[in-house]
Amino acid sequence: MVSAPPLLSCEGVAKRFPNGTVALKGVDMTIRAGRVHGLLGANGAGKSTLIKILSGAHFASGGQLVWRGDAVRWRRPIDAKRAGVATIQQHVPLVPTLSVLENILLDTGGWWRRRRDERQRIAGLINRIGVGLDLDGSVGDLAIGERQMVAIVQALASGADLVVMDEPTASLAARERETVYRIVRQLARDESKAVLFVSHFLDEIVALTDEVTVLRDGRAALHAETASLDEAGLAAAIVGKEVVQLAREHRRPVAGTEVVAITRLSSPGRLAPTDLRLRAGEVIGLAGMLGAGRSELLHAIFGADPQAVGSVSIHGKPVGRTPEDAVRAGIALVPEDRVAQGYLPQMPLWQNVTLPQLASHSIWGLIPRPTDERARAAEAVDRLGIRAPDVDALVPELSGGNAQKVTIAKWLAAGTRLLLLDEPTAGIDVGARTDILRLVRALADDGLPVIMASSDYKELLAICDRILVLRDGEVVAERNADELDEAMLVLLTGGAPVPTPSVQPRPLP
Amino acid sequence: MRPPFRWREALGLREAGVYYALLLLLAVLAIAAAGAGRPGYLTAVNLSNIVYQASLVGIMGVAMTVMLITGAFDLSVASVAALAAAVLVGLAGSIGFVPAALAALATAAAVGLANGLVVQLVGINAFIVTLGSLTAVRGLVLILTDGRSLMVSDPRALAEMLAFESSRVAPFWPALLLAVILIVAGVLRRHPMAIGGVVLGGLALAAGRDFTVSAPVLYLVAFTALVWFVLGYTVIGRRLYAVGGNAEAARLSGINVHAYKIGAFLLSSLAAGFAGILFACRLGAINPTALQGSELTVIAAAILGGTSLFGGAGSVVKTVVGALLLFTLTNGFNVLNLGANYQGVVEGLVVIVAAAIYTVGGRRRARPRAVDPEPSAGPAAAPVALGGAAV
Repeated sequence: MVSAPPLLSCEGVAKRFPNGTVALKGVDMTIRAGRVHGLLGANGAGKSTLIKILSGAHFASGGQLVWRGDAVRWRRPIDAKRAGVATIQQHVPLVPTLSVLENILLDTGGWWRRRRDERQRIAGLINRIGVGLDLDGSVGDLAIGERQMVAIVQALASGADLVVMDEPTASLAARERETVYRIVRQLARDESKAVLFVSHFLDEIVALTDEVTVLRDGRAALHAETASLDEAGLAAAIVGKEVVQLAREHRRPVAGTEVVAITRLSSPGRLAPTDLRLRAGEVIGLAGMLGAGRSELLHAIFGADPQAVGSVSIHGKPVGRTPEDAVRAGIALVPEDRVAQGYLPQMPLWQNVTLPQLASHSIWGLIPRPTDERARAAEAVDRLGIRAPDVDALVPELSGGNAQKVTIAKWLAAGTRLLLLDEPTAGIDVGARTDILRLVRALADDGLPVIMASSDYKELLAICDRILVLRDGEVVAERNADELDEAMLVLLTGGAPVPTPSVQPRPLP
Repeated sequence: MRPPFRWREALGLREAGVYYALLLLLAVLAIAAAGAGRPGYLTAVNLSNIVYQASLVGIMGVAMTVMLITGAFDLSVASVAALAAAVLVGLAGSIGFVPAALAALATAAAVGLANGLVVQLVGINAFIVTLGSLTAVRGLVLILTDGRSLMVSDPRALAEMLAFESSRVAPFWPALLLAVILIVAGVLRRHPMAIGGVVLGGLALAAGRDFTVSAPVLYLVAFTALVWFVLGYTVIGRRLYAVGGNAEAARLSGINVHAYKIGAFLLSSLAAGFAGILFACRLGAINPTALQGSELTVIAAAILGGTSLFGGAGSVVKTVVGALLLFTLTNGFNVLNLGANYQGVVEGLVVIVAAAIYTVGGRRRARPRAVDPEPSAGPAAAPVALGGAAV
């Protein structure tokens, strides 16, 4: 297969932004038709910049791209598209008010809005790759996985030879991921397209790709046939050193006093009545598919769901049912989507950090003392290892992992009694992930009860004491983490037959 | 702990552009007036006259800035002001000035509360709601006045109203005191408010101790100073910016977003009601089309002052300067006898140029400092090592 002629070669591609930032220092990479090429790297390694260069959104400031043997210089995205490169962005840019067909044909020219031949062509394409999409349905009504399919069909409809996929599975549930994998394989094997597949998921890179390039600090740190690699080798190449193990340690059974009591907490249509008790220092994991009710449970506990009923009490004292009451009682929520729910883009880092407890940094609870606030922020920057120029940095200027640390830093105050984490490590690199998980464990060891929702079962198994499995807004199983392994969790969350009687869902207390 | 103040940024076109624009305009007008044989443009009397003319729009603009900071919008201010004026004029004769003024403020507050409740609790866009109340409240004014000009007939009430609006005060000592405070605080905190203090002190000294200004100028200054302090130095101010910057993040940080947003509507309508009272007192009468269209001047002033229409950013002092800029333009046309026909074109272009400067300047600021910020979302995998030894 390696003998196939290169479709696209990057030869020392470098990118230096006008403000002096060097994102790529010279990347060599060869992409061949009929192969799936994995691209990996930590946040900040240069993946996004490289993809933008390939898709014509940026142009390289050094080196060159060779497309089908000719050096090319794409100035605009349309140049790359015409040449035959289709890019599926991570946040799929579709028009929600138009139909599936109109979105797929968005970039085709012509005068008429409805054309029968185009419709037949797309319908044929959809049949061939075997995805069930209603051509006339409105894109706004589709689930995120189906939107991803629309984007893929859009890329294929343009007749691209190279399909670049930027973390296509990051926000998908397991079943939807399988569909993406199937299509990717089909594209490479049957249609002999080249696929550049960018992902944070090592297992899917190993299972899906034919060859891999790992970027680190703006250079290609590793290029190899996937068959010669394993996940541990990839992880090492990404971080540049042996990954520090954050293996499950044998934790003593938690014997602290009961801190949190949640009684018959429910929300119509979102969450079935749920009871939960947490002891000091206990870490509870929430596992489940996308939409299984993990975020819904956390929001209900935090009082952020106005429809939720039931009671939450801390140290025996009931907590009011609004976020204000929850914060006052010491409940902290790190929400799932840090951009939309986590931080304030116009405020400097230090103001973001002190926002929830601003009154406690103020004279008479009314006039904030900036000196105090900055000291608190500087402390948080140190403790969490946030990489920022200074505490005056705006949070959107930071990398994903560091921005996430800021949203956690907001709650590292003395008054926090219960920490709720919703996908705290989503979309961030290995180093930041390790920092955050270590911090969670350290906080728990100091006696803080923690509830953490995560799609990453390895992570849950590594740091939780107990794991609750949710499905359709209901807790369907509760296990001690040391009785579980990843395969069993996958089965429990997916509702597939359970292998042994010992893991039958047992009724909740 | 305090970092060096970013003077270059603070004195740049984007941050301080509106001050430069006002200075430039005053200089141009002074030269043009002198050239046209009309000396005395830059006199205390003429300048304080500009501030007086801008005071109503300035007061509404300060509240509008708070509104825009929280991410909402209020088109109904001019109608609310006219309604408050009509209530005052209608009632002053029978119940006296002060009770009538309170009734006017209560009416305005009721409209603001209604606007805020519909926007926040029903969830309709503020633009649509206040566009509706702009028309509906103007309709109420027509009903109250029966479509005719209304006058205060009771001479005692009329005298009280005129006294409230047109009494003159000598601002010399208070202005000097404020200037000293600003200079001292500005030097201590390394903040450009010291420059404001120098300008204010200079103006006070130049105008002299016998110089007087009319009451609305003082009301404007006092209101601006109060809101400036609350926004810049209190927890309430920080939370207002937070609510406008990212309402969901603010809510999940334990801030009562509804209360702050509805509060902004209330403040906006109260300020409009107060402006309406001043307007009624100035004339002792109200005609049903009074102040029509000034909501747009108010919003223009806020935009000239660099307030973002998307929330989370804005400064009341700059809004007031924006209002002064607009009224200086008007005043210049009058002084130079240029004909009002060109005025609309010039004012409109000034607003667009200002917005262009803020947008271009903002883009430059937003360029990332960090390498490849990559704000990715959704779950991603742990390194294998994480789970390698699991269980």
